[in-house]
Amino acid sequence: MASNPPPAVVIVDDEEMVITSVRAFLRLETEYAIHGFTLPGEAVKFLETNPVDVVVSDYLMPKMNGLELLAKSKQFQPEAARVLLTGHADKQSAIRAINDVGLYQYLEKPWDNQQLLLVIQSAIERTTLLRSLREKISALDTAHSNLKDIQAKLLRAFL
Amino acid sequence: MEEEPRHLAELYRMAVLGRLTAKIVHEITTPAGSIRSNNEVLARSLDALGKLLSDATVKKCAPPAKALDILETLKNLAGVDKIACDRISAVVRGLKTYARVEEGELRKTNLNDLLRDTLKLAGVEFRNRVTLVEDFGEMPAVECYPQSLSQVFLNLLVNAGQAIEGEGQVTVRTRAENGWARISISDTGTGIAPEHRDRIFTPGFTTKPAGEGTGLGLVITREIVVDHHHGTITFESEPGRGTTFHARIPITHPRNRS
Ligand SMILES: Nc1ncnc2c1ncn2[C@@H]1O[C@H](COP(=O)(O)OP(=O)(O)OP(=O)(O)O)[C@@H](O)[C@H]1O
Ligand SMILES: [Mg+2]
Repeated sequence: MASNPPPAVVIVDDEEMVITSVRAFLRLETEYAIHGFTLPGEAVKFLETNPVDVVVSDYLMPKMNGLELLAKSKQFQPEAARVLLTGHADKQSAIRAINDVGLYQYLEKPWDNQQLLLVIQSAIERTTLLRSLREKISALDTAHSNLKDIQAKLLRAFL
Repeated sequence: MEEEPRHLAELYRMAVLGRLTAKIVHEITTPAGSIRSNNEVLARSLDALGKLLSDATVKKCAPPAKALDILETLKNLAGVDKIACDRISAVVRGLKTYARVEEGELRKTNLNDLLRDTLKLAGVEFRNRVTLVEDFGEMPAVECYPQSLSQVFLNLLVNAGQAIEGEGQVTVRTRAENGWARISISDTGTGIAPEHRDRIFTPGFTTKPAGEGTGLGLVITREIVVDHHHGTITFESEPGRGTTFHARIPITHPRNRS
């Protein structure tokens, strides 16, 4: 267990100060690897190649909104949990689109640190579970097709 | 009947403020949330730091690397808190300037400062998609009704921002020229259709969706600039490229000219 890399959390917000505050809090409370981005485009680039456990995104950002970003995240890393952290003014539009990206949680600004931590913790657990489930399924698949091979060989030997 | 135009301007001023409220709340919520979070982290970090330092003292060894790490975080957070407080103050100053009731007295005013405050307020409407550019010239103090002019600027700025679909730029220029102060507000928006040019100062004329535009903004703007300040308001517009409104205000109000 100790050799496992720490869970990776991506935080996207066009406000540098939000990233700095959340990062400081998570560094104090956890061992997570935290990757902060003020430009959604850079976050997407990161997500294309780096496996992460949770993506927390602001909604209203220039160029790409949070749901567009989370949709991209879903495309590249379907298992990584998606959390929207949004201000009051854009609540309605956010809620309308939530189903499209399969949101894990919706949090409102100003955020509560303890609640944010709980959400991120349980999101990481869920991602870990999904990953190990997928590994087991693919192991089962392999075992199953091996079995079929053997069965086929046996049949051929006897017929 | 004399009182009616002022009364209308007052109602409209409050309506504009009402429409901005949600955005203003948002603008304040973000830095306030940051400060709150930082404060919590600060308190805990200080606890942790105290413990690390007293442990080190007991063991008679140098403070651990973790302590320096915490110090670094604390420094960062102090910086963020300063920026966050400045952001809140700026919006609040804009609000104060705008929401203050016009005293009806001429006051020598630095229009660049007045514009800066008003820009902070207008900025909350489209901070995410419109770049605001300030090109302020040297300006003498202008004799004016500051609250009314703040309303003029906000009307023009909101119109400029609303004319831009998606991303664009709003430029605010100020210049002093032969006894006049000129304030020009340019946008890279849709422009004004030739057939609308003669109508935009008509009460109730609006191209905005019902419930969004009252068509009163420019009427009130003209009234304040022309009737109350003896100034002029003009515009140039090119459909598809953008619009510039120029307000010219005499530096000395005619009432006080000898
Ligand atoms: N910068 C601009 N670019 C393009 N069109 C403009 C601009 N400013 C004003 N207009 C046109 O003039 C019309 C009248 O403007 P006015 O400010 O009086 O009312 P409004 O903006 O429609 O409504 P309200 O001010 O109540 O939001 C607008 O609907 C728009 O068609
Ligand atoms: Mg208007």
